[in-house]
Amino acid sequence: MKKRIISILKYLLLIFIVLLFLLPIIYMLANSFMSTEEISEAYTASTEHYLSFHLIPDRFSLEQYYQAFLRRPQFLKLFWNSILITVPVVAIQTLVSSFAAFAFTKFRFPMRDALFFIFIILLILPSWVTMVPNYMMIQRLSLLDTLWSLILPSAFTAFGVCLLRQYMRYIPDETIEAARLDGASAIGILFKIVLPQVKGGIAALMILSFIDSWNMVEQVIVFISDREKYPLSVALSEYAGTDPGIVFACGVIFMIPPLLLYLYHSKEFKNAKV
Amino acid sequence: MMKLKSKQAITGIAFALPALVGVFVFYLIPYCISLYYGFTLQNEFVGLENFSLLMRSNTFWLSMKNTAVFSLIAIPLAVAVPFLIALFLSTFERFSDFFSSLFLSPLIVPIASVIYVWQILFSDYGIINGILTKCGADPVQFFKGKWAMALIILIFVWKNCAYNIILFSAGLKKMPRDVMEFARLDGANRLQVITKIVLPLLRPTTFFVILLTVISSFKIFREVYLLYGMYPDENVYMIQHFMNNNFANLNYPRLSAASIVLSVVIIAVMLVFFLFERRSSE
Repeated sequence: MKKRIISILKYLLLIFIVLLFLLPIIYMLANSFMSTEEISEAYTASTEHYLSFHLIPDRFSLEQYYQAFLRRPQFLKLFWNSILITVPVVAIQTLVSSFAAFAFTKFRFPMRDALFFIFIILLILPSWVTMVPNYMMIQRLSLLDTLWSLILPSAFTAFGVCLLRQYMRYIPDETIEAARLDGASAIGILFKIVLPQVKGGIAALMILSFIDSWNMVEQVIVFISDREKYPLSVALSEYAGTDPGIVFACGVIFMIPPLLLYLYHSKEFKNAKV
Repeated sequence: MMKLKSKQAITGIAFALPALVGVFVFYLIPYCISLYYGFTLQNEFVGLENFSLLMRSNTFWLSMKNTAVFSLIAIPLAVAVPFLIALFLSTFERFSDFFSSLFLSPLIVPIASVIYVWQILFSDYGIINGILTKCGADPVQFFKGKWAMALIILIFVWKNCAYNIILFSAGLKKMPRDVMEFARLDGANRLQVITKIVLPLLRPTTFFVILLTVISSFKIFREVYLLYGMYPDENVYMIQHFMNNNFANLNYPRLSAASIVLSVVIIAVMLVFFLFERRSSE
């Protein structure tokens, strides 16, 4: 009997913790299916009464989605900007880091460890430090106010190399040596032997680097002055005051790409072995 | 044999080259340029002039103080809370996997998507204050004063628990069960098992979790900016705000000086952290 009560309490605690993590997201999802009137009624700033917890729509409505998709093309444009920034970053970063991590773990060349040390230092430097050098170079290449100013520095961060190296270290040298003796080329070994064994690392890298670029803020407001080029990550919150309804719907649309990427990779991602 | 070795070296360098070029072009070379700017004013060598100007800037110290306060509270919390949750999850036989993927949602959902929900919850006439007044308590101004920092820390912990729970859970899963059971049979209590067996065995995971949490703590500016814009309450004015405001008036000497000072500070702190980890693992 006592055991039963403890196990029920444990499940209640578990549900409580999960709700704590999910509630803001559920709240956004639920509110995105309310009509514009319902939203503006609920969230018009007022100094008379407090906002109330409004989770269940009075009437299910797709009005906000209709607004976001068909009536306000500027939102699709902002969303498209986010894709134009994030997809190249993830693609370049994954490809470049795979090659470099392979080189730093399984090849011997002069200065190897010294060069890798640069990557480790870079890994821990925050954007408040690196944005200054980034800016100097972007300005010299006349890339300011183009999406490239956001893509290139993010694509060449040290994170991918360090993360994949961590995974590749567990591949025994003998495996690679054997393939080499069989006459496999270095590129062949990377794609046919190494990468299939570090799927978890690739998944983690793609997801984390996608999320990082998808949420980009500080670089955008410094490197980009043309608001037409802003990604949704910066622009969305600016509509909260004037158009709360749209913000919920766009927020939901905005979370779909990272969610899909996560679901696609979730198995490898969760079996992270670090 | 010699030939084979040099061929290996050439392939290795060729594979590392794209990453190296990127790092040199966008980070290392321009960092050296900023070293130049840090010590000059209108093309004239001025020694440490820019640095002493920076040190006399009140906003710089304000941003340093706030960032330090934030890091010293938020990082330990964002490591300890996920550890406790992972420990709790490990007591379940099934379900863990399904629930752990639910825990990831704060990480996957974009900041911009949830920021409005935080505003609705915590604004002066928000939901939380509504509940507080109903219970007879006084409303709290969450976006001002000391509460502003507490709110930012809460959002950070909420978001970063996600991945840390997954990493700790994976670490705990690999833990040899029989060792723990033996210890329990030998009369060790729960706390002793955790401090004497679980934590030492989890050290590599913990180290990695701390590192990731530190790196993401550098990005807290995103939440602060989306909540407050460029000029937040002075309790959450972070280093990134200081830098961005100087970008706005293109003050290169000051930006370079700040970038140099901050890089030295960060590298020193991390060096101590790495040495400490190496020493304690021996």
